[in-house]
Amino acid sequence: MTAWLFKVFLLCLLNVAVALLLAPLCEGLMRKLRAAIHSRIGPPITQPYWDLLKLLGKEDLRSTRGSVYAAMPALTLGSALLLSALIPLAGMRAPLAFAGDLIVVLYVATISGVLIMLVGFASASPYASIGSSREMMMLLSVEPILAVALTVGAFKAKTLTLGGIINWQVQNGPSISMAIGGVAFFLALQAVAGKLPFDIAEADQEIMGGSLVEQSGPRLALFRWAMWVKQLVLALLLVQVFFPWPHFGIPPVDLVTTAVKVLLVLILVAVIDVVNPRLRIDQAMGYFMRVGVSSLAALAFAVIGK
Amino acid sequence: MSTVDQAAVTRVKDAVAARGNGAVLSATQPHPDTLRFVIEKNAMRAAVAGLVKELRARFLISVGTDQRPLTGDFSILHLFSLDQDHLYVLLESSVSEKDPWIESITDLVPGANWAEREFRDAIGVRPDGHPDPRRLLLADDWPEGVFPLRRDFPYNYKPPRAENVRPQMLEPPKGASVLPIGPFFPVLEEPAYWRMFVEGETVVGCDTRIFYNHRGIEKLGDSVMTYNEIPYLAERICGICGFIHSTCYCQAVEKAAGIEVPRRARYIRTIMLELERIHSHLLWLGIAGHIIGFETILMQTWRVREPVMWLCEEISGNRKTYGMNTVGGLRRNLANQIMPKLLETLGRVEKETVAIRDAVIGDTTLQARTKGVGTLTNEWAKQVCVVGPPARASGVAIDARVDHPYAAYDEIPPRIATEEAGDTWARVLVRIAELLDSIRLVRDALAAIPPGPICADIKEEIPPGRFGLSVVEAPRGEAVHFVLTGGDNRPYRWRVRAPTYPNLQAMPAMVEGANIADVPITLGSLDPCFSCTERLETIDRTTNEVRVYSGAELLEMSRRRVCPGGAR
Repeated sequence: MTAWLFKVFLLCLLNVAVALLLAPLCEGLMRKLRAAIHSRIGPPITQPYWDLLKLLGKEDLRSTRGSVYAAMPALTLGSALLLSALIPLAGMRAPLAFAGDLIVVLYVATISGVLIMLVGFASASPYASIGSSREMMMLLSVEPILAVALTVGAFKAKTLTLGGIINWQVQNGPSISMAIGGVAFFLALQAVAGKLPFDIAEADQEIMGGSLVEQSGPRLALFRWAMWVKQLVLALLLVQVFFPWPHFGIPPVDLVTTAVKVLLVLILVAVIDVVNPRLRIDQAMGYFMRVGVSSLAALAFAVIGK
Repeated sequence: MSTVDQAAVTRVKDAVAARGNGAVLSATQPHPDTLRFVIEKNAMRAAVAGLVKELRARFLISVGTDQRPLTGDFSILHLFSLDQDHLYVLLESSVSEKDPWIESITDLVPGANWAEREFRDAIGVRPDGHPDPRRLLLADDWPEGVFPLRRDFPYNYKPPRAENVRPQMLEPPKGASVLPIGPFFPVLEEPAYWRMFVEGETVVGCDTRIFYNHRGIEKLGDSVMTYNEIPYLAERICGICGFIHSTCYCQAVEKAAGIEVPRRARYIRTIMLELERIHSHLLWLGIAGHIIGFETILMQTWRVREPVMWLCEEISGNRKTYGMNTVGGLRRNLANQIMPKLLETLGRVEKETVAIRDAVIGDTTLQARTKGVGTLTNEWAKQVCVVGPPARASGVAIDARVDHPYAAYDEIPPRIATEEAGDTWARVLVRIAELLDSIRLVRDALAAIPPGPICADIKEEIPPGRFGLSVVEAPRGEAVHFVLTGGDNRPYRWRVRAPTYPNLQAMPAMVEGANIADVPITLGSLDPCFSCTERLETIDRTTNEVRVYSGAELLEMSRRRVCPGGAR
């Protein structure tokens, strides 16, 4: 029993460490890519680490009293890390797979967005409250798409466990319904990661960073870190559930192929981010309404077995 | 010079005389393109109504002058332009010191709103019946009854200390909340304070407080500096269109003094003005992209822009603020060996601008953010007397280069680009078309530039009591400079009106009913320049001393977080 617990603990630690330590690196790579498209040299790839280090060393200022408000950044980062432990890095089984299935994954994936929204509403700033109401609208229009896309997998594999879905995918190969689901998930990922054209809830030029306008120093560092982790982990989820091939069954090799695929997804996210202006919230909601309706097509295909 | 139709002159004279009803004291034509009427102050409204309603005259600006040392009275001057007839009309009234008011014309010409508030603040003549009693240009802690542009007001006056002053702002309508934009805001390069009244994400109204950038420029012009020093001061009115202001000032003085500028100098001015338009429009395009989060446009346009700045540096010694203009012409020639390089650089800029244009025009997301956003109707654009690209994008085909040709524009006329929609997208299109036309204009000017002297030989002193009115089409619209010559080698009154001054007044109508997300790009699409618009006094409030801080001192202060005069 203790040995089992110890193993789970070690595996969780591995997932969390990978997410925590590699997320800033991925962000650094995306920044470098942005700079290249801008005809800039750009900051060094390690810059996000230095950013975090600098922010963490600054004074902790809060615009609102209360222990819940104080704990928000840590909770947000914690929820993102919890999500990372629910998704397998390689292979079929996530370290915390015994603790929950697809439904837990969906809930945990939403927590950080909700917390950022709440911190905005609690910040006593008009910009933050507008940012938070935008965040809420984005959550409401994007979450159903994530849910529908993952449900397609659950429907096809006849299981709610992530490992089961991945296993089914590896056994059965690509299908139309999962491809559509994957595309829908990718489009939603762009919004969940807060990248253009969907960085509406932050919109520096309109509402000065939105929900996080009052956050600074170590608090901002943790929020930033959480968002980078989330972007990495959701890209991992996309790759694992919708595009798990080729699967070799040898963990180190699978780990490398997964890393390459995740990187490709993030590069695509960064390219879309850099070639688009920001949409307005109503335009974005209309867009995701259409994506949501289209993603229902994936369910229909799943029903007829395609 | 463009020829002025004699019939138009007669028409204006008849209209003013008919409305003036015997109150017209004098009607003169001091310059071929300028008509000046001195009328009784109680006939001013009627005369303005005649000009605006019957002749469709466009209001430029009001000039309040303290003429008490000369005539014993204040003078209020309303300037108009008849663009089709290439004619300026000046309506002047004297207002006695004992009874310092004149009937407001804001209800006839909504665009006169700020101009009237400005002469109320600056010389203390009250526009009677003006809808807005609040201050415009004076700081909120400025004492009552002290008027900075009066002759007996010293330029280095130190106002007493004031505490707890706030700008007077309107209350939001019931049910609406306030979203402040400014005084410092990421997309505003300069301080301006907008209060957006919002219901959810929809703007239901707005209020504004600007003039945080007063630098006392007009006051310095008529009390400290001399004719030939002012061009350098004028150039510093704006960080982008400096050459426009120095040209406009020099032209006004040259016109007042009857100085003929050599042809080569006029061509070089044209080239520099158009180079400024090229780099300003590229700058604007980048900022517009930045405002809607499209950083790639910002980075690419500014990369394309940079060689133009280098060219300006090679021509004048400075990237900006060239210091080339002087009354009578130029201080620095355009070296012939620069010309091939100029043409080569322009060729590259043109090629890359076309590439950017094609990318911008084909971008559907960009169109989604700009089409139908911040619409300025043709009717309102005319009413508020909007100028420049915002006017042309609303179908008002005015351009100072064509309507009142100056420099070499009579020989190489520009093509006016207009659009009808009046939205932000239309303003993008107009500016891109102008940008490409400016490149052509520089090429044409380089092909036609004559040899010869670059500065007129001025032997006599400039006689007092003359006036000159000059307009220059800046990238943002038409700049107006008015000079009344004075005795001791400096103007008696120098009035500057930057293009942002009328354009900002159109802003409330443009954002009404808009989404919050559209406010920054709407404001940005006017290409506002606050330091141009605002030109008065900087005085340190805490120590009551006029003091200039060096950049290093400010940096030191900001590092130590010490407020001047106070401990923290």
